[in-house]
Amino acid sequence: MSDPMAEIRASFFIECEELLESLQDGLQTMDDGDTDPETINIVFRAVHSIKGGAGAFGLDNLVHFAHRLESAMDEVRTGRFHPDGEAIRLFFTCADVLGDLVRAARDDDTVSSDVTDPVLEKLEKLVGVEEEAEEDLDFTPTTLSLDFGDDMALPTLPDLSALPTPEPDPADAPLPGGKGFTIFFKPDPALYLSGNEPLYLFRTLRDLGDLTVTCHTTALPTLDQIDAATGHLSWTLTVHTEESEQAVREVFEFVDGLCQLDITPFATVPSATLPFPLTATPFLPPLSPPEQPASTAMLPDPTTVPETLVAKDTAVRVKPVETPPSESSAPAKPSGTPTQPHATVRVDLERIDRLVNLVGELVINQAMLSQSVTEAGLPPNSPISTGLEEFLQLTRDIQESVMMIRAQPIKSLFQRMGRIVRESSASVGKEVRLHTDGENTEVDKTVIERLADPLTHMIRNAVDHGLESPDKRLAAGKPREGHVTLTAQHRSGRIVIEVSDDGAGINRERVRAKAIEKGLIPTDAQLTDGDIDNLLFLPGFSTAQEISNLSGRGVGMDVVKSSIQALGGRIAITSQEGKGTTFSISLPLTLAVLDGMIVRVANETLVVPLNAILETLTLTQDDVKALGPQAHVVQIRGGFVPLFDLGAELGYRPPQESYVGGIVLLIGQEDGNRAALAVDGIEDQRQVVIKGLEGSYGPVPGIAAATILGDGQIALILDPTDLVSQASGRTRSRPPQHALAG
Amino acid sequence: MALRDQLRVMVVDDMSTSRGLIANALDSFGIRNVASAADGPSALQKLATSPVHLVISDYNMPGMDGLQLLHALRTNGPTRGIGFLLITGRADREIIDMGKRLGMNNFLKKPFDPAGLRAAIEAIVGKL
Repeated sequence: MSDPMAEIRASFFIECEELLESLQDGLQTMDDGDTDPETINIVFRAVHSIKGGAGAFGLDNLVHFAHRLESAMDEVRTGRFHPDGEAIRLFFTCADVLGDLVRAARDDDTVSSDVTDPVLEKLEKLVGVEEEAEEDLDFTPTTLSLDFGDDMALPTLPDLSALPTPEPDPADAPLPGGKGFTIFFKPDPALYLSGNEPLYLFRTLRDLGDLTVTCHTTALPTLDQIDAATGHLSWTLTVHTEESEQAVREVFEFVDGLCQLDITPFATVPSATLPFPLTATPFLPPLSPPEQPASTAMLPDPTTVPETLVAKDTAVRVKPVETPPSESSAPAKPSGTPTQPHATVRVDLERIDRLVNLVGELVINQAMLSQSVTEAGLPPNSPISTGLEEFLQLTRDIQESVMMIRAQPIKSLFQRMGRIVRESSASVGKEVRLHTDGENTEVDKTVIERLADPLTHMIRNAVDHGLESPDKRLAAGKPREGHVTLTAQHRSGRIVIEVSDDGAGINRERVRAKAIEKGLIPTDAQLTDGDIDNLLFLPGFSTAQEISNLSGRGVGMDVVKSSIQALGGRIAITSQEGKGTTFSISLPLTLAVLDGMIVRVANETLVVPLNAILETLTLTQDDVKALGPQAHVVQIRGGFVPLFDLGAELGYRPPQESYVGGIVLLIGQEDGNRAALAVDGIEDQRQVVIKGLEGSYGPVPGIAAATILGDGQIALILDPTDLVSQASGRTRSRPPQHALAG
Repeated sequence: MALRDQLRVMVVDDMSTSRGLIANALDSFGIRNVASAADGPSALQKLATSPVHLVISDYNMPGMDGLQLLHALRTNGPTRGIGFLLITGRADREIIDMGKRLGMNNFLKKPFDPAGLRAAIEAIVGKL
């Protein structure tokens, strides 16, 4: 994109997404009963900014809609209209349509007026904004006199370099209160030629009191024109001191006549008259920290000032903007409120991914280097070994930081779900409220993007199938309004996202009957409640008696499950009859690295994700019990855990005769069950970089991905839960005669 | 040397899109010395270290709005003489009157095209 306008246009749409997010946020806050004027301001400003940008690009449809919404928001902002729940729901719809218009404009698409017009009509009816006639504003521009002097003689900007020169003006006093002097100091070239150094003068000045030094660099010519022997800099210094002017002059005694020196006492004005902590002049890092108490300043003439400005800090340390009160009487918002903008940089995702990949390579490289050093037999306390140790630490830190760049709050995704709930509940005639929690949980950007579809489907399911109709709810003694809750949290190195509803719960009898009818299970199958619930994840399963136009259109929970699995995650379901259903998704924090245990099986090296391993043990005669020719269990502290031979399960070798003396990894699964995996040996524990297999091989049962080890060898990364479920599914569903035969 | 070569301008707007649009237009006028800031306080901070002749500021910004910025500029000696062009989405009488009282040099209503911006600037500083 070399066309600057195209670039600006692209950035406009990105910015719009942020504005839409803060619009949704603000509306949510309003919906929660917050009537803070700043919240309404945020909502107003978001619409206003979208309109402004859209106007610049001639996006008329967007401007038209945004303008009407802006006017409605203005009614709210000015207190002429007090929105109730219904109004806020309409605002939400407007925000959704606004989002559609933004995206349509971005993709050169259109939104039908069948969508926009009814919404605008409702808005007009509800809020009743009258289009104000464009006022005729008489304003005569005031001309600025810019005297640039003789062009030829003065290529630089003489009047700019003179700008900071303090005039004997009370308002120019840079620091409120106290006694002291403002000193303007501009050395002549002769000052430098005679061997003087301004820095020493400033240091001497510092001995008199607190000193703030500001360097004026505006007179600096460009590099090719610079004459090193000529000084181009001048300074403004403020010194807080009880000393006399004479004492200050004495500091400059030896450069008298070699510089321009103006010394002005600043104690001639009453203290604390500055309306804003803009110091008169620029700062260099002060030689000693200036002591400036934060002060709420009096304004020179309150009648000419729109709003009180609150001084917060010194200008050099201007923090992210504190929100000044919108009315002079209102207290300032505490810092750390969501309205506080952060300094951000937009970076092309491709660049970050490149960095992630490079860091991945670095980790592998580092591992190879460590291995070579170990193999070279260097003592562990040699400088190389300790240096390598530090290198390892740094590599990890870099990796973590890089991962953090990719992480973003899951909030944007949750907001999209708000719309899904609003639209789907409206289409099936249910009253539904969405609750969200943990929106600030940070998740890898790719994960967020790829979660959108499965989550949308789950939310629709919850509204469509999970919740009962208002009448049924009332009959069951529940409130009319159904609740869908969406939460995200970090739990033991993974992200757990839950979608729950307070509906009727899974009708297990019906699920079972349906599964039998579809031939998914034998008629006499002995299934636990959990087994029945999990039938929902079988391909092609749909329990809705009538397929609604919302969910169940070919896409079932099996698709949801496979998209979650593709992200290295799992999905579990719990349900309580009459109380509701909860789907729980557990995802890895990142798709790029993994802490793994390196194990050996049948001369193959495998990586087992560390977070799946509960413990490792060596089996004794008493530990292993055979349940059949190929089924073993391990007895651990009184309980029995199924044993799986990793080598056999992956087809590396036939099942072993005896597992006594062998090593097993005790694996904890998402559903809380445990399993034991028999391996030949444990080699190491280290972080590995995940390299996806699916691009080349498609999904491989029991295998999550691959990695490159320190010695350059490729190793497969195990998906223990998948492996165990595949293996146990096989033992359960495999007819006995086949097992005997094969 | 033409005025446009010497003129230093700062664009203040919380929307990077708007900053980009204005900077792009300024560039097309031949104005090369363009600084920008995303909010009033950082504009003031930047102005303290590198002064400009003209500030082009949006009115509607979070925290400190355009008129508050203007007021801060006008009540601080070194920035007192800086030209000020206010850009507003809604040209309310109230805003314009307040701007007038605070010493706003000119205003421009959104949406505007580069020619409109150029005219608004030239009304303050003269022919570019």
